Amino acid sequence: MKRLLALLLFAAGLAPAEPRVVALPGRSPLVTFRIVFLTGAASDPAGKEGAAALTAAMLAQGGTRELAYKQILDAVFPMAASVSAQTDKEMIAFSATTHVDNLEAFYKLFRAMLLDPGWRKDDLDRLRDDAVNFLRVSLRGNNDEELGKEVLYGELYAGRPYAHHNAGVVSALQKLAMADLQQFYRQQFTQANLVLGIAGGYPEEFVARMKRDFAKLPAGKRAAVKLPAPRPVGGIQVTMVEKDTRSVAYSLGFPIAVKRGHPDYPALLVAQSCLGQHRSSGGRLFDRMRQVRGLNYGDYAYIEYFPRGMFQFEPDPNLARRQQIFQIWIRPVEPPTAHFALRLALYELDRLVTKGLTPEEFERTRAFLTKYANLLTSTKSAELGYALDSQYYGIPEYGSYLKSSLARLKLEDVNRAIRKHLRTGDLRIVVIARNCEELRKKLLGNDPSSMTYNSPKPEEVLAEDKIVERWKIDLKPEAVRIVPVEKVFE
Amino acid sequence: MLVLTLLCCALIASSAEAPQKAFPYPYAQDDFPNGLRLITIPTDYPNVVALYIVVQTGSRNEVEPGKSGFAHLFEHMMFRGTKAFPPAKYEAALKAAGASSNAYTTDDHTAYHTTFSKEDLETVLRMEADRFQNLEYSPDVFRTEALAVLGEYNKNSANPVSKLYEVLRDTAFDRHTYKHTTMGFLKDIQDMPNQYEYSRQFFDRYYRPEYTTIIVCGDVKPEPVRALVEKHWGGWKRGSYRAGVPPEPAPRGPRTNRVEWASATLPWVVVGFRGPAYSDTEKDQVTLDLISFLGFSPSSDLYQKLVIQEQKVDALEAENPDHVDPYLFTVWSRVKKESEVAAVRDDILATLNGFREKPVDARRLDEVKRHLRYSFALGMNNSQAIAAMVARFVALRRTPETINRVYELYERITPADIQAIARKYFGDGGRTIVTLAGGKSK
Repeated sequence: MKRLLALLLFAAGLAPAEPRVVALPGRSPLVTFRIVFLTGAASDPAGKEGAAALTAAMLAQGGTRELAYKQILDAVFPMAASVSAQTDKEMIAFSATTHVDNLEAFYKLFRAMLLDPGWRKDDLDRLRDDAVNFLRVSLRGNNDEELGKEVLYGELYAGRPYAHHNAGVVSALQKLAMADLQQFYRQQFTQANLVLGIAGGYPEEFVARMKRDFAKLPAGKRAAVKLPAPRPVGGIQVTMVEKDTRSVAYSLGFPIAVKRGHPDYPALLVAQSCLGQHRSSGGRLFDRMRQVRGLNYGDYAYIEYFPRGMFQFEPDPNLARRQQIFQIWIRPVEPPTAHFALRLALYELDRLVTKGLTPEEFERTRAFLTKYANLLTSTKSAELGYALDSQYYGIPEYGSYLKSSLARLKLEDVNRAIRKHLRTGDLRIVVIARNCEELRKKLLGNDPSSMTYNSPKPEEVLAEDKIVERWKIDLKPEAVRIVPVEKVFE
Repeated sequence: MLVLTLLCCALIASSAEAPQKAFPYPYAQDDFPNGLRLITIPTDYPNVVALYIVVQTGSRNEVEPGKSGFAHLFEHMMFRGTKAFPPAKYEAALKAAGASSNAYTTDDHTAYHTTFSKEDLETVLRMEADRFQNLEYSPDVFRTEALAVLGEYNKNSANPVSKLYEVLRDTAFDRHTYKHTTMGFLKDIQDMPNQYEYSRQFFDRYYRPEYTTIIVCGDVKPEPVRALVEKHWGGWKRGSYRAGVPPEPAPRGPRTNRVEWASATLPWVVVGFRGPAYSDTEKDQVTLDLISFLGFSPSSDLYQKLVIQEQKVDALEAENPDHVDPYLFTVWSRVKKESEVAAVRDDILATLNGFREKPVDARRLDEVKRHLRYSFALGMNNSQAIAAMVARFVALRRTPETINRVYELYERITPADIQAIARKYFGDGGRTIVTLAGGKSK
């Protein structure tokens, strides 16, 4: 019926809407693709958490109807090309780069992978294993920092479409059938959800060809999943993940109403950068926790989702979301200083909220972000990714959006945005540690957590310590929950 | 001051008849009288400049007992300021430049890298020159920074691969400093706060112009860069120290070891063989590179068997990193069931043995060579990536020209070379196998 309607529209001279395209032609000998579908883990049906990611994996790391996965690997190997899929809550991005020498051969394979998947059982078995092992072993077993960040998201969005990890939930992954994935593909991988991204030295007529090819997908209807506001945290809540590990990792935060395009986005970005620019030694948290006190390897703050932060300096694009959280990431600390480290992070957050930025900090951070925008888009792939995200958020090209809004920004705007969107008494703390019960008692008792150092500290630091070591964390016994690590993501 | 300049590639790049070199960018190479070398690589990526300062010292230079991890600690200390630029001022200047700045340490080198807008080139070069010549930190600051290194160890410690590296090297080497990882042994890291005097000695020995190469890559021209480097780095004094790195005796294997991991994880098996040093003239190392792809890349027969068909493992990869001294060729695999570890190990050994027994298919070898060429070209997608790649080679031979030599060498390798090199290196004597078993079952 839909097909008939489309034909009728065409016959009447009203061509069906074409897929959206973001094209950045250039002189490079490389051609970069980012094929984005505006769907993702938030659209996983209840009980089938992981369907989006596993469907995307079946396309990017599985066979086509014509070729088994091994044949695809063999074909792309001499070109040194590969296809990767990134599944987030509301975006699935397939990205690939090829040398223009191999464009024709590579594109034929890439097109078949996305438009004509093979749905083989052995691919599903392998990729399901990969997904389960990613959650249980790579994340839960081997990476306490990322585990803390992901548990924080899970807790803040409990009962909401953003709650489960993008890779899914183990018990649901184990039950997903091929038919579930095929259904997800049919319903979500539609022209209505599609945005074609291409950049680099491709021939002029290539975009039209892609549009024709991808018109093979069902037209579909753009219907973003309903997204109720996250529940209020309700005071300070703590989730402790009990795990046999050497040190103590923290992530803490709360949902915010700000995303790219929101009037307060540039102001909050300045505040976040000043408090803890990712992997930079210039943030307050880094300075006070690591540089001055040697508590750990680094401490940072975020207003957008930034997975894999321990491996990379710049965030990946195509993680655009309608809802974001404010987050502080405290890298693992030695257990004896764990209580103090948490207090210090909360103290710094409080100092930001109550006192804001100084004029000097404001000017310095604004100048930094104005130039730093250039670095975010220094590859064609990143430039393309940011352009796709800008289209999603309905803003101009990210660099110019940021530069022009930063130019208009005033210190009062930043401090007003901080007071409006950030807070200290209503947030969720996630802890990954051994002996959680012991830390729980300390936190509930609000016992002093005095510091001893291996070298003399300036008076100013010791005086500040006197405040921090007794910093009250207003915590009720029922607000602290201990979860064995084996239960997480199950 | 007399500066020796070598202008490379410019003629070749403009000549249609000359073969395309693997490293396609024209560059200028300048040698200063104090031993410092400058490599300037103009690219057509606009506005941005990537600066890499490569010091040819790493954990390989940690020759004294109890000092493992020191090159890396020292990398941290380089961010602790000078009289002219105390940390806060240094940080403010980087912020004003919108710079992304960091550093890393390997077995053989330490690299300090900053990416920034082109108008800030002089500011950044001046600040970097200052800290390389006038670094100053108190014992108190040193003791605090040593704790940040312990924090780095802690954040790595949840990953069993870090532990596997430690045990693999400790098992495979007896005397050479490759016996320890760049991070160092935990007991040495815990003792670092007490080693202030040694840290000053380390700076005095290795942070010298003759150990250092500066790479400036991006929206720049060689002449003005040369003048700036001469102005700010020309007065740096040459040193005289040479580390006596103990040579590793001939292999006396085979060796095995086993790691028991406390928490739940999947088992690993690592099969290693003592390998050669980096060379852009001898065939050994590049041939082992080719074997790593022939035998263990996603298009290999073993990957098809273990990952795709039998699905016994979820990771399979060979590693053959370039090193100043002879290092290790290793094959890593994460196995889904403990009961399959022995079978996977035997499959890896059989694959390696296969290279000894018969020559590989010439067509397949050509595919691997094509893969390497394209992979290299795809990696050079911005100025930062180009500088980062050049830094790895500069750490070994101090010139991008070594890249072209190595890629020419790849082209010359034949199936007979593969067989000869496999026979030379994959004998029982040089073998080390380490397995890791997970704790509580999931």
